[in-house]
Amino acid sequence: MIAIILAKFRMFIRNPWTFIIFTVMSLGFAFIIGGNGAVSTITVPITAEEGAIENINLKESLENEEAFRFNWLDEEEMRNQIENGKAEAGVILSDDSYQLIIGVESPNVSMIEQAVQRAYMKHNQKEAIVKAAEADTEDKRETLLQDFEATMESPVFEVETTRFTSEDAVIYDNTFQSLFGFTLFFVIYTIAYNLLPILVEKREGIWDRMILSPVKKWEVYVANLVYSFLEGYIQIVIIFCVFHYGLKLDFYGKFVEVLLLSVPYVFAIVALSILLTAIVKNVQQFNAVIPIIAVSMAMIGGAYWPLEIVESEILIALSKINPITYGMEILNGVVLYGYSFEELLYPISILVLMGVVMTGLGIHLMERRHV
Amino acid sequence: MLELVDLSKKFKQLYAVKNVNMFVERGEIIGLLGPNGAGKSTAISMISSLAEPTSGDVRFHNESILKKPGDFRNIVGVIPQEIALYTDLTADENLQFFGRMYRLKGSTLKNKINEILDLVGLTDRRKDVVKTFSGGMKRRLNIGVALLHDPELLIMDEPTVGIDPQSRNYILETVKRLNKERDMTVIYTSHYMEEVEFLCDRIYIMDHGNLIASGTNEEIKRILSSEKTISIKSDQLNEQFISLIQEHPLVNRVVTTDKEITLMVAKEVSMFVELTKFAEQAGIELTSVHNRTPTLEDVFLHLTGRALRD
Ligand SMILES: Nc1ncnc2c1ncn2[C@@H]1O[C@H](COP(=O)(O)OP(=O)(O)O)[C@@H](O)[C@H]1O
Ligand SMILES: [Mg+2]
Repeated sequence: MIAIILAKFRMFIRNPWTFIIFTVMSLGFAFIIGGNGAVSTITVPITAEEGAIENINLKESLENEEAFRFNWLDEEEMRNQIENGKAEAGVILSDDSYQLIIGVESPNVSMIEQAVQRAYMKHNQKEAIVKAAEADTEDKRETLLQDFEATMESPVFEVETTRFTSEDAVIYDNTFQSLFGFTLFFVIYTIAYNLLPILVEKREGIWDRMILSPVKKWEVYVANLVYSFLEGYIQIVIIFCVFHYGLKLDFYGKFVEVLLLSVPYVFAIVALSILLTAIVKNVQQFNAVIPIIAVSMAMIGGAYWPLEIVESEILIALSKINPITYGMEILNGVVLYGYSFEELLYPISILVLMGVVMTGLGIHLMERRHV
Repeated sequence: MLELVDLSKKFKQLYAVKNVNMFVERGEIIGLLGPNGAGKSTAISMISSLAEPTSGDVRFHNESILKKPGDFRNIVGVIPQEIALYTDLTADENLQFFGRMYRLKGSTLKNKINEILDLVGLTDRRKDVVKTFSGGMKRRLNIGVALLHDPELLIMDEPTVGIDPQSRNYILETVKRLNKERDMTVIYTSHYMEEVEFLCDRIYIMDHGNLIASGTNEEIKRILSSEKTISIKSDQLNEQFISLIQEHPLVNRVVTTDKEITLMVAKEVSMFVELTKFAEQAGIELTSVHNRTPTLEDVFLHLTGRALRD
């Protein structure tokens, strides 16, 4: 069995182009359509009217914003940047109000606005506390605020929020949507094309040779499945690593989880591919069917756009039997929605179940049809 | 050693192999001759335990091979009709791979590979990827791979299809050597009667799934003892001439190709006068007319009314 896997890797190294092409395509599409995780590194020019800049609180709050980097400039420079299209929008702060200068209408603008609002809210909150406590000296004021910060960090009681999917606001992050979507989509090709040789080997008698040897038939199957799994999985790991280490996308601290939780999806796709391999009559049919399956699955399963915007009942029903749906749910769930393990268990078990059923069916059909 | 008993295989409505009875003794080279679609490969895949018969049995030392295919598979080497090799790997790597499948390791495997490369004449190309091989070299390696585990019984399915004459002779000689020097029993499938005539101790002829003749070369040709074959050559063969021959009451069978007509008549009949007359009538000139010693080809023609290589 090991010998089979090794031979396959040896052939892979000699001819890695399919793999490379699909990896590059995933990277390219995710990068172009999703952006390079730009949401977390957008630079916003900011300027302050006299006095406001003195307001350390406001400045601190803004600089704590993760999504944006605020770049302090004077108003002249800021307007220049926006006019030249170097920045989407800029902010002018004054003591108790702010002004947004918008160059391009983009989803980021409202997020910038929210960030600024938050900063003002916090600022006002602190001012109110200070006022209420009648902290008139600078020292008192300082201690008070420190206490306040400390309290905020360890609140007396926590409010637990539970999510009801239907009522939940859609969190739509373009970077992750396309990164996950295109990765899950293209890996279908990689996996399927790595099982295709079974068809060729059967036709050419290589399979018979292995059956005649003391190697067990299940070993041949397992070797093929494992190899195809590994190749698909390695592709996913490469893509996520490029985004994580190369483009510094932090996956909200869930990088390892993302890698681990891709396993059930890859398994389900391996199973789907073996089923397809068993159903088609020849290589030509296989080549014709794979793109159709992959593309329609990606569309229905929300790899190209979020499922939340889909309204057709039929499509939604179809999405329930589609591995991509669950793959996306797992990955989005862990990164964007902060799903707990229990919440992830449902899509994971469905994928595993799909995997087991389709592998069984695929091998069964293959044994019956091709012998 | 090996025996096929009423062996049949049915695909949907079609019998690819029908009630075939055969036996193979140790040390023999057995030929299985038949045109394309005769059912040779189907028979071979049942003999090698890869396909299950619809009915009948394959018995090895009086025991059905279906019961314990494992034991049988250990002593049989099968050379499939297709090139069953990884064309992206080198000759060496292919032998290594299939050697591992047979649980060979280390120096045993290495020695075996050297020996086989030498036998099939590919030692100097061992490091080359199979893709770059000629048809004949691929065929030779295809045979080599089946020899890795020193089989007692070698089953070859049309091992010389589509290759140059040198490689073909090389393969035929190799089969002879394996039989003589290593006492390998061989079942050799082909639709070339010369090969089978040259190699085989006994021959089975198949057509449309049926065995239509069997025996030694001489025995089979004796089927023709009451007939003879006349071969007519001409560059100008035309419809009229052919139909004149076909309609002649003493002509048993006629096969025509571009420039040749083969006909069979009873031994005592002389057609020479008639043929010259027909040629005159049809307005053509004959290059040659002669009686031929019968070949297996003629036997097939006699039995089926068709040429072997249709
Ligand atoms: N798997 C199959 N399914 C259906 N028909 C088959 C199959 N394999 C072979 N046949 C048919 O059985 C007949 C014999 O084929 P085969 O054994 O390959 O002949 P040969 O090897 O003598 O050329 C042919 O008519 C072929 O079409
Ligand atoms: Mg054949």
